[in-house]
Amino acid sequence: MKISTHWLRRYIDLDRTPEEVEEALTLIGFEVEGVETTGLPDLNHVVVGEVLSSEPHPNADRLSVCQVSVGDGGEARTIVCGAKNYKVGDRVPVALPGAVLPGGFKIKASKLRGVQSEGMMCSAGELGLEDVADGLFILEDRPELGTPINDVFPGGDVVYDVEVTPNRPDCLSHVGIARELAAYFGLALSYPDITHSLTPEEDDSRERLLESVKVEAEEDCPLYTAHMVSGVKIGPSPEWLQAALMSVGLRPINNVVDITNFVLLELGQPLHAFDAAKIGGKKLVIRHAREGEKIVTLDDKERSLSQNMLVIADAKKPLVVAGVMGSVDAEVDETTTDLVLESAYFRANSIRRTSKRLTLSSDSSYRFERGVDPRGVKYAAHRALDLILELAGGRIEVEPIQAGEEPVLEQSIELDFEFVRRRAGFDIPDKTISEILESLELQVTRRDTRDQQVRWDIGIPSFRTDLESPIDLVEEVVRIHGTDKIPEAPVRCAGLDADDDFQVVFNRKAAEYLAGQHFFETFNYSLRSGEELERWFSRAASDSLKLSNPLSADHSHLRWSLIPGLLDVLRLNQHRKTGGVRFFERGRTFREVSGEVLEVTSVAFVILNTDQIRSWKTREAADFYTAKNLILNLASMAGVDFSVADLQPVPMANSAWQEGHSAKVGDLAGGAEARMGLLNMPLLRTYEIDGTVIAGLLEILPQKLEEAPARPVFRPFSAYPAAERDLALLVPRSEMAETVRRKLVAAGEKATGGRFALEKVSLFDLYEGQGIPEDRKSLAFSLIFRSADRTLNEEEVNTAFQAIQDDLAGESEYRIRK
Amino acid sequence: MEDKLQSILEGAQQGAKDVATRAELEAFKARLVGPKGELTQVVKGMGAVPKEDKPRVGRALNEVKKTIEALFQELLEGIEEKESAARLGPPLDPSLPSPDGVRGSLHPLAQVREEICSIFRKVGFSVVEGPEVETEYYCFDALNTPSDHPARDLQDTYYLPENARFGNISKKEDERYLLRTHTSSVQIRHMLKTPPPVRVVSPGRCFRRDTADATHSANFHQIEGLYVDEDVSVKDLKALLDYFIRSLLGKDARTRFRPHFFPYTEPSFEVDFSSSHLRKLGSEWIEIAGCGIVHPSVFDAVGYDREKYSGFAFGMGIERIAMILHGVDDIRYFYQNDFRFLQQFAR
Repeated sequence: MKISTHWLRRYIDLDRTPEEVEEALTLIGFEVEGVETTGLPDLNHVVVGEVLSSEPHPNADRLSVCQVSVGDGGEARTIVCGAKNYKVGDRVPVALPGAVLPGGFKIKASKLRGVQSEGMMCSAGELGLEDVADGLFILEDRPELGTPINDVFPGGDVVYDVEVTPNRPDCLSHVGIARELAAYFGLALSYPDITHSLTPEEDDSRERLLESVKVEAEEDCPLYTAHMVSGVKIGPSPEWLQAALMSVGLRPINNVVDITNFVLLELGQPLHAFDAAKIGGKKLVIRHAREGEKIVTLDDKERSLSQNMLVIADAKKPLVVAGVMGSVDAEVDETTTDLVLESAYFRANSIRRTSKRLTLSSDSSYRFERGVDPRGVKYAAHRALDLILELAGGRIEVEPIQAGEEPVLEQSIELDFEFVRRRAGFDIPDKTISEILESLELQVTRRDTRDQQVRWDIGIPSFRTDLESPIDLVEEVVRIHGTDKIPEAPVRCAGLDADDDFQVVFNRKAAEYLAGQHFFETFNYSLRSGEELERWFSRAASDSLKLSNPLSADHSHLRWSLIPGLLDVLRLNQHRKTGGVRFFERGRTFREVSGEVLEVTSVAFVILNTDQIRSWKTREAADFYTAKNLILNLASMAGVDFSVADLQPVPMANSAWQEGHSAKVGDLAGGAEARMGLLNMPLLRTYEIDGTVIAGLLEILPQKLEEAPARPVFRPFSAYPAAERDLALLVPRSEMAETVRRKLVAAGEKATGGRFALEKVSLFDLYEGQGIPEDRKSLAFSLIFRSADRTLNEEEVNTAFQAIQDDLAGESEYRIRK
Repeated sequence: MEDKLQSILEGAQQGAKDVATRAELEAFKARLVGPKGELTQVVKGMGAVPKEDKPRVGRALNEVKKTIEALFQELLEGIEEKESAARLGPPLDPSLPSPDGVRGSLHPLAQVREEICSIFRKVGFSVVEGPEVETEYYCFDALNTPSDHPARDLQDTYYLPENARFGNISKKEDERYLLRTHTSSVQIRHMLKTPPPVRVVSPGRCFRRDTADATHSANFHQIEGLYVDEDVSVKDLKALLDYFIRSLLGKDARTRFRPHFFPYTEPSFEVDFSSSHLRKLGSEWIEIAGCGIVHPSVFDAVGYDREKYSGFAFGMGIERIAMILHGVDDIRYFYQNDFRFLQQFAR
């Protein structure tokens, strides 16, 4: 909202610099978003002077020494001057010692090259005006000597664009802001006087302009007043009024409309002036609109109204969308002679609803929907009538019509000043607290309770509905006292037995691990397109991930996987030839599982294998087993042990993963799930990526990450030597190595019979091809035997090893390869 | 006898010239000191040497033995040297680039988030997380935000359909699911399961229905803090944020509290800082956070005793801070993930 300094001065004696005012507004909670200066700023000690003589400076070629009169008793002053554009007899602005020019330039009497100079003759630029010419500002109109320069150029103003937070509708006006500044600077606030008598001399003599006001929607309009003025003369507003409106960006229209706007910006109460002659049936009805009822608002748009919108209607049709905007039908124009002036209190939520439905906002609706002061309804009407009588003439012949009553919004809050100090955390004397509250027009009454305690009853005026409880008053005190007075203090920091969520710990570890594996972390958007979702799953996307109010089709669905975002990253970097081929992301994704959506914690990585990145020395390319290793390591950081679960080929045909070159492990329903391997090549082509992509995706339910895994407990291990045997088996090609390995483990358990252990079985070789039947492969395992309490002898190891071989050869298709 | 020794030695020295490999060395050794070796024969013949000659011949034998052992050692070293030279290949060019990938790195937003968390951990805060999909209750109602508050508008907040079902995100009643607009909802969920005192920070992704531009993003990240205990005051809040801002922006950073309005705190402030530390910004005040004393209604919603406890909360945007700290002038860089951008933050 725009606040003019000139305008503020109608209510407070604001003798501060614009910088001080700007800072004050900011510090009491009205952020200044812009400052606009027009005309001359306030300049004390700058007056009109006349050059009486000019001599060259004895010690400087470029300077002159002038005798200048400023009319103060005739005695001329010596002023050293560097300008050349003047002649003796010219009148110019003279800054005398004590003046402060824009930019904080202080004028003092001082010696210039040995000559005492008692002031400065000024250029237009030095006064804060636009420089019209080089050199001194010659005052061609020859104003009276000694006249303050502000009198020669009145109209300079500083306008602040302030942000008023939604809890402070009382400050959507000049008086409201003046009240705040008065409290902060300790100034007196004077409200505008009503100078004319507003009481009609007699109230029955003539035909009434308006016969009745009927409120049919009391809930939305608790109070409606209509004042009548006859015989006004519509015309342009006087210059001061036009200037005031223009200073805050309003266009003057005519005296009556300008007055209603002026009062709105002065007091915050919206008013509406009707041309009485245009009110059909001489009656106003405040009612809800009929569905589909039409009105052409003042912005020349026809609008269709609906049932819960409040309107001010005459006998036939709506004339005003209440509190929002009038219609062309009852507009005050140059032909108007009789007025009906509305001042009312509408419910905030009713106006907000209507304004939103019509997508129509006005200075009036802006204030009503935040809440106006019901006590201000009458005063604002009187202020406007006073100005109308003053500027447009006319007579008040009848008493106003009032419908409804002022809602009572005043209330009282019991306050313990000790509470204020406790919440503030520092000492503020009782006297200061009560002065601050009083300066904001709160009533402070001291009360001694029976148990010798002092309590204060704080009367809250109707315009401060934001003040509801003691804590609200703490804010008022801290705010006006000044947040710069909050003392420095050490940080309060007693120990607390709480750790980071394990989720956070896991995320950090996972990221650091992947960064250590040459991956770069990325951040991608959480919203993806429905089209991509369909492409991904090769079927119509389910609606369960769809937002009900997306902003665009590209961002309409919650992400179901981190992989699509990472593919975007690979594409961008491949197309830009940046060289980046390993990326990861961690974040929340949304998986649909049996009819409901689960929010899951995900970590995913991608590795692009492409010939485009060339190297003088080739390392082996990342493959499925690279991804598997990374995934299992990540899972173990989360306390998820996938080693006991089988890795299975990703089942779905047409999935995101390449059949036969990828695997899935775990199950989200069980808390965690992972996929890894080669991404589906046809799908990859739709992302315009050249090459193949190895990826891994680990998804864990956040609920699974609430508890940190238990601390490891030491298990003693054998100090005796191991016995190692190697075993190669011919098995069907389709047999998974892990199946074979587990059979070996089981056979080992049987063979050792608990006397000692087959401690470890690990695969070290895989061979297919020459020398081996086509449907077979050879798997070679290393078997490590050990006892917890002795050194094993050859014989017992051999016996066990033979038993294992017999076991496998006996009951399966496996053959020992000698 | 001594002549024989002499000739064996000469023969060995001559024969050594033809030894080039380990196998040849082994054969050479066998020829001399193997069971049937020349020298072994001499040792065996020692018995036949007359008693008076024994010391002299014995000495000569030892002498030759030692010389031949030294010869073996010398040959072995020569062979090993040749072997390793063959294994090593020619000297390398240390200026060739390593074919292994460059070191990876965390995203700058993750780095800034971690830096902020660390500053708060030092003064006893722990880090908590919560869901990105929230309900109207946890995001607004419990935070004293009236049902007609503009922030709840369809224009500003993303909602999920009425019938959406989220299996692991609890609702209060039958309110709608939405994408959280701030991480204050995490504080509500945390307070509901943790009795005071509480000291947590909750970083996380948030969503506002904004059109993307240089300073707005479809999603962004916030970090919010909450401190609840007996007699927590505005002074404590200011002290903590002073500490935070000095830790993050340098000891010369100054802070300013501007009264503001948030439904869930009272009093509420916006926090500005100024720091000569940051080039260009000079002495300007720059907004960095919002904060305030937790509104008693919020305590009512989570079942905290509003008479006994008080607390403060604060929140800030991670992107904004990252932009200030690193001089990034467009928020979209963070989500584009150009390798050349990411690499600048590998440290």
